Amino acid sequence: MAGSNEINANEAKKVVPLHTWILISNFKLAYNMLRRPDGTFNRELAEFLDRKVSANTVPVDGVYSFDVVDRSTSLLNRVYRYLSPENDSGRQLGAGIIELEKPLSATEVVPVVIFFHGGSFTHSSANSAIYDTFCRRLTGLVEGVVVSVNYRRSPEHRYPSAYEDGWEALKWVHSRSWLVSGKESKVHVYLAGDSSGGNIAHHVAHRAAMSNVEVLGNILLHPLFGGEERTESEKRLDGKYFVKLQDRDWYWRAFLPEGEDRDHPACNIFGPRGSSLSGLNFPKSLVVVAGLDLVQDWQLAYVKGLQKSGHDVKLLFLEKATIGFYFLPNNDHFYTLMEEMRNFIRS
Amino acid sequence: MGPYDSSISSNSTSSACSSSTKPPPPQQPPEQMDHLLAGAGYKVRSNDLTQVADRLEQLETVMVKSSPGDFSELGNDTVYYNPTDLASWVDSLLTELNPNVTVHGSGPGDVSDPDPDPNGFNNNFPVNMNNNNNMNMNMNVYGEFGQQVVTPVEEDVSIRLVHVLMTCAEAVQRGELSLASLLIDDLQGLLGRVNSGCGIGKVGSFFVDALSRRVVNSPQNGVVQVDLSAYENEILYHHYYEACPYLKFAHFTANQAILEAFDGQDCVHVIDFNLMQGLQWPALIQALALRPGGPPLLRLTGIGPPSMDGRDPLREIGLKLAELARSVNVRFAFRGVAASRLDDVKPWMLQVSPKEAVAVNSIMQLHKLLGPGGPRGPPIDLVLDWIRELNPRILMVVEQESNHNQPEFLDRFTESLYYYSTMFDSLDACTAQPEKTLAELYIQREICNVVCCEGSARVERHEPLVRWRERLTSAGFAPLHLGSNAFKQARMLLTLFSAEGYSVEENEGCLTLGWHSRPLIAASAWQAIPKPSAVTMGR
Repeated sequence: MAGSNEINANEAKKVVPLHTWILISNFKLAYNMLRRPDGTFNRELAEFLDRKVSANTVPVDGVYSFDVVDRSTSLLNRVYRYLSPENDSGRQLGAGIIELEKPLSATEVVPVVIFFHGGSFTHSSANSAIYDTFCRRLTGLVEGVVVSVNYRRSPEHRYPSAYEDGWEALKWVHSRSWLVSGKESKVHVYLAGDSSGGNIAHHVAHRAAMSNVEVLGNILLHPLFGGEERTESEKRLDGKYFVKLQDRDWYWRAFLPEGEDRDHPACNIFGPRGSSLSGLNFPKSLVVVAGLDLVQDWQLAYVKGLQKSGHDVKLLFLEKATIGFYFLPNNDHFYTLMEEMRNFIRS
Repeated sequence: MGPYDSSISSNSTSSACSSSTKPPPPQQPPEQMDHLLAGAGYKVRSNDLTQVADRLEQLETVMVKSSPGDFSELGNDTVYYNPTDLASWVDSLLTELNPNVTVHGSGPGDVSDPDPDPNGFNNNFPVNMNNNNNMNMNMNVYGEFGQQVVTPVEEDVSIRLVHVLMTCAEAVQRGELSLASLLIDDLQGLLGRVNSGCGIGKVGSFFVDALSRRVVNSPQNGVVQVDLSAYENEILYHHYYEACPYLKFAHFTANQAILEAFDGQDCVHVIDFNLMQGLQWPALIQALALRPGGPPLLRLTGIGPPSMDGRDPLREIGLKLAELARSVNVRFAFRGVAASRLDDVKPWMLQVSPKEAVAVNSIMQLHKLLGPGGPRGPPIDLVLDWIRELNPRILMVVEQESNHNQPEFLDRFTESLYYYSTMFDSLDACTAQPEKTLAELYIQREICNVVCCEGSARVERHEPLVRWRERLTSAGFAPLHLGSNAFKQARMLLTLFSAEGYSVEENEGCLTLGWHSRPLIAASAWQAIPKPSAVTMGR
């Protein structure tokens, strides 16, 4: 087995740039230490190892951020705002205050993207360095606002905690007068997420559709779906590009209610226990699939499921991409993704 | 273990930690750091990337050979340091997993230098959403760097309150005191209309009070704060200690680091820069009593202000601590040093012996030395210099994590408004009385000092960790990293508080305690780099 793992390490190294390989391998190793075979998670060490960054109300590359805490839920949202150069002067009211009194814009539509970070429902936070960096890029890309939700994680908080936190965040965003824009004077909300965040985005959008809360679009970056069946991609790619199937299983066991299996509708959207999306006012979706991600068959099944339900979905299939390709701007997939996301939101 | 080990496995059972804080490799010039990984929170020299990748590959191979249980065992027992330094993190993992693997290269590209001390140490206007579903949501949100982000509420009084506070502070800065007075009247009015129990109403009232003292009592030059009696001081301090975890965290983290620094030492000497009621020391005495191999001889030198009323508070505390030490069989000696300022202390007063291991403990004291200097130079430099002369095994520094020492009044005002708002928010979680009210008064005195005082009267000159790192490094100290064990224990301490919202973070070898994502207190440990000409005290 050692031999085959060396081959695997070399394979992954061939397809990703050195920095990416280092970053993702480092996560992989650390995460191996944090998951215990009995299903518990070494949260203390995880928090110690996670590199975090503070919010910063001083704009860097046109983006500033601040944290908002809801005292009743202790839910933390980190809000990122883009400040175009010409808008900068009017913003400050006396030294040291930034005031968000006015709506974003009375004339232009300014997108507000609610972002759910990845980490297989277990790792990372809204203030993790990798996600802070990503959200800043996203904010500058859409020239709007990104709200990154610090949802409760498993195994301490299982299904449906993360979905509930996502739903609360959606309602919160919709009720902010200072996020309103455009002639219609409403909040132009999109949902986005990578890995487990993508899964959360789907479920929040589903609930929104059933409750008549508007979501203009979903961006799912290699979203985390699964099922009991072992798909071809899972078998073929098991252990090859940073991810082992048994690790995926661990995270589902940690997230899903105890005793449940992977055909649970949280996990297997269009599986035997999934509910139909036909007829719902479900938002258009951009689903990004990495060709070297072992979960891809489930993601592609999701895309098909959406299409069959009559919903607008665009698939961006990046053949040679591994998970986490979007953390560092050092590969073509990254730039392709940025382009697609911008077009999706601005269209 | 090879020269690159950066941790010891400890079969840690008791609270006495058997691994020690660790000296890090020297700082690398920033331009050589890889930018891409910096965006992910890691500092790696560009030259070291290939080597780090190689180590990661080795780790993978080793990992495959072990069962999942083995690997997660690593997480349980081993102590880790400074995960930002990816290269040494990876090295330490490798050494943990496979002590027989030679970790190659002390080549030019190597970030980890050989352990410099082989016999020594081995060795991280938020919001009050009054969450009613009704419209009155008093929400202040804050970002870093002292800027306050204020969002509108259906009720615009809180917004106006902040506006007028800032405008008033600006007027004070410009010396327009009659305008400032008018604004203060305005502010009193506004305060009457907000919920003064929490949020901006609560903290705002303290700032209005401070501004009004400044404006009314003394024009340009600020006021001199009335000294409280020692007794009054103690009462406020004690209740602040009880109402929120900041001081406990400071004591706890410091004791942990000191304990590790004293590992294997028979004669130890702790110098406490502000003894107060000696609340920090019973825990250390008890931990020393329990340590494997038995306790050392412990000397404690407590520095405190001279007493005005004929009592000798230092001695009283010393006697109590001595009694405790006796009851747990720790040989103990106490000495009180009365000084109104730390720069009045002369090293000879501390009577440090060459044979003893010295720990210098400074909890929220060093910032007081950042004021204007006398003929002998800046007080901070003088003091850091004599600390260094003592050659301590550890200098423990805990400070407020904020910049309240900026030259411009308005900047200080803004930053402290943000800082203390966060602190007050965290205090809201405490419901015990009179702890909470008296704790607020304790904080109020700090606020007043920052806002009202100037010159040598302004002693609350807090500076953030990044500045202290610069200062201490240029004064000849090297960081001792606080590791995952201290982190874990600090988190456990927090679970004793029912308030969710306190967070401990690891910051390049230092630990911070904050409210939600805003660090408020930073703890760091340092060791003196011996001066070239100094006689090396026996270690």
